[in-house]
Amino acid sequence: MSEGRQTLLPDGVDVPFSSIAAALASGGDGTHRRADGRALMATVVAVGPHERLCDAAEALRHLGDGGVRAVLIPTGSQPMPGARVASNAIALRGLEPRFVDNAVAALRLSSLPTLVWWRGGPPETLDAVAALADRLLIDEDDPRGIWARALPLLDGTPIGDLHWTRLTRWRSLVANFFDMPEIRAAAAGFTQLRITAADSIAAALLAGWLKTSVEAGEKIEVSLADGTLGLPIEEITFGDGEQALELRATPSCTCVHTSATIRGHRSMSQYVPLGDQSLAALIQEELRIRSRDAAFERALHALVAGS
Amino acid sequence: MRQPTSDNPLQDNLRIEPTPGPTTMVIFGSSGDLSRRKLLPALYHLSRGQRLPARFAVIGVGRSELNDERFRASFHESLREFAGVRDERDQVADSLASRLYYVSGDPGDPAFYERLRRRIADLDGSEGVLYYLAIPPGAYGSVVEGLGAADLVTTPARGWRRVIVEKPFGTDLESARNLNRLLHRHFAEDSVFRIDHYLGKETVQNLMVFRFANGMFEPIWNRRYIDHVQITAAETVGVEQRAAYYETAGALSDMVQNHLMQLLTLVAMEPPIAFSAESVRDRKLDALLSIQPLVDERGGTPTVVRAQYGDGWVNGSGVVAYRREPGVDPASVTETYVAMRLHLDSWRWAGVPFYVRTGKRLPKRTTEIAIQFHRPPLQIFRNVSATSVAPNLLVINVQPDEGISVRFEAKLPGTRMQLAPVMMNFRYASAFGTGVPEAYETLLLDAMLGDPTLFARHDFVEASWALISPIHERWLREKPAEIPQYEAGEWGPAKADALMAHEGRRWRTL
Repeated sequence: MSEGRQTLLPDGVDVPFSSIAAALASGGDGTHRRADGRALMATVVAVGPHERLCDAAEALRHLGDGGVRAVLIPTGSQPMPGARVASNAIALRGLEPRFVDNAVAALRLSSLPTLVWWRGGPPETLDAVAALADRLLIDEDDPRGIWARALPLLDGTPIGDLHWTRLTRWRSLVANFFDMPEIRAAAAGFTQLRITAADSIAAALLAGWLKTSVEAGEKIEVSLADGTLGLPIEEITFGDGEQALELRATPSCTCVHTSATIRGHRSMSQYVPLGDQSLAALIQEELRIRSRDAAFERALHALVAGS
Repeated sequence: MRQPTSDNPLQDNLRIEPTPGPTTMVIFGSSGDLSRRKLLPALYHLSRGQRLPARFAVIGVGRSELNDERFRASFHESLREFAGVRDERDQVADSLASRLYYVSGDPGDPAFYERLRRRIADLDGSEGVLYYLAIPPGAYGSVVEGLGAADLVTTPARGWRRVIVEKPFGTDLESARNLNRLLHRHFAEDSVFRIDHYLGKETVQNLMVFRFANGMFEPIWNRRYIDHVQITAAETVGVEQRAAYYETAGALSDMVQNHLMQLLTLVAMEPPIAFSAESVRDRKLDALLSIQPLVDERGGTPTVVRAQYGDGWVNGSGVVAYRREPGVDPASVTETYVAMRLHLDSWRWAGVPFYVRTGKRLPKRTTEIAIQFHRPPLQIFRNVSATSVAPNLLVINVQPDEGISVRFEAKLPGTRMQLAPVMMNFRYASAFGTGVPEAYETLLLDAMLGDPTLFARHDFVEASWALISPIHERWLREKPAEIPQYEAGEWGPAKADALMAHEGRRWRTL
């Protein structure tokens, strides 16, 4: 690794490519310590710039004992080819993009799903790893460029996006309101959707989801405002005046306060936890998804069509 | 199973499972041990997991002269004591507490039900009402009749009325039938949820997945490959504060009739045609009905062993005999241990014994199902390996360490051909990196969602009593002055070992 940068897998050992399997078998650090009773679940191949992979490595370290093999592939210039192994994680460096798929093919767990976690890099690398992926998870600050590249892959590879993953709790809270017939009836007349968010991509996906899901969604006018709490989504108001659903993150950023106002009467006020929004928790959630996500795809198409 | 609310367009592809519709949960016995230890903490955890509906309320009911505020305070206390909630400013706990209400009164008084009706009507969530009878079974009658007389059980045009009852579901076949008749006078069977918390455990649910979602196990799940099955539910605790109940029940009614019969039928059942409540429960009932009677033609019970714990030593402490426990008759012959051998009349299981044992004050707390396979037909290593080949074993750990283990033979490293058994373990706690929900969380949620798959059906309960009651009756007729004793901290009486030993088998070392 180059000097002045955080080391990927700081607890690991450098090994030649040919010794990766032996290093994994010995527990990564040569101690032969392995977690007992570990059921292997999936391979996660994280691809991205070095700095962004350090976060990913830390998140995947948390999942390591949950049976995930992590393969970390930094993009950008690399000093010399090599590998570093720690526990059940492998960091590869100096790979030419055209050989990335070969490396992944050699290292992924047999007969178990491979999730490619895309954190940025040359588009041609995406093409190479996507062919080996059972799911492709995009995670760029502004993913619109890579979405355009990834959309044609949809028929062969289910695609997700971490901006969408961050919406799970919020979507569930909005959906819970719609279990009530009077809310569904009132919502048919909702035309205003106001979202306060630090993550404009997540906000746009949320808007796309609602517009493509609810009755008369095409009439919904969306207004976005910048958040101040630093949360991807801070506040959602769906409806107008006398009738609206309101969801607002608390200042502690740990809970959401929800309430519904129907015919001027406010009810269903409650605090609900926002849940663990750490990178590890988000990836854990993504590992449970094994098929195409129709709601995400609808939201994505709406967003791409609208941009 | 859990279906999203079909006319809610936003439930499509939600990653968090559907939440129930608007619900008011009415807990009879809300200040009791079950409510404080299990129900209220489970509701809190469901709330944290975003599994409760937006319109949700709890009405605690009891004779205690509490009000809403005091009930809420006791809710916070139970969270501190049993759910590990330390934060005084836990907004989720506060939010849930604000939806707790209390109605005090005598369940035998019609005016009480009128107050309850008004309270339910005043609350958000009155479309669905779930009555939880966390009260002694002797009080079920007056509560269910009271609810019926006050017309609090009629399903409204939009909504539902359901009832959860706790075991014991009767004390014998006749009382179980009476209880079912009582419940059915006011609730349809699909609105009655008989809770057996064993069925809410992940491993128990996983047993069906293990058997019916994997092609490799079902072909060997029969008498051709399986030598016998052992089901063990061992407790280290004694009778604790339950002497009054336990004296009338004993291990046979307390554990075998419900929990262990549920486990046995999950192992023995044929594949259901779908993972639907009725299909699964039909096949479990078939398995139960196929069990041969446990009382023989001469009225004897040669395949059932009972015993009672004496003085002994458990978990590093000396413990007193059952008869010296507070509230226990010093001459009690109530069994605290039962072991039995069962045979099933079915093509799949003909000739395969199921050994079941349960007891209090045993050396360790564990519940497991062990399936022992036949040895290989030819012992080709007997001339080269000093050790004999152990039969393959599949162990399903129900508690406390939920998981599945497989024992198989492996060659010890070295130049000699020497064999040794090894265990391959799958543990829920570590395999998925996420917590395992408490059984009551799963079961409460299922009841709110109207999914009875993990609850006991009336005919299962009655068939189980029909199997067990004759043993009780036989024992009552015998009226022994003494019951075999086992030392607390040991694995039961010698007769339980003999039950297997004369067939060349032995209980698994746990």
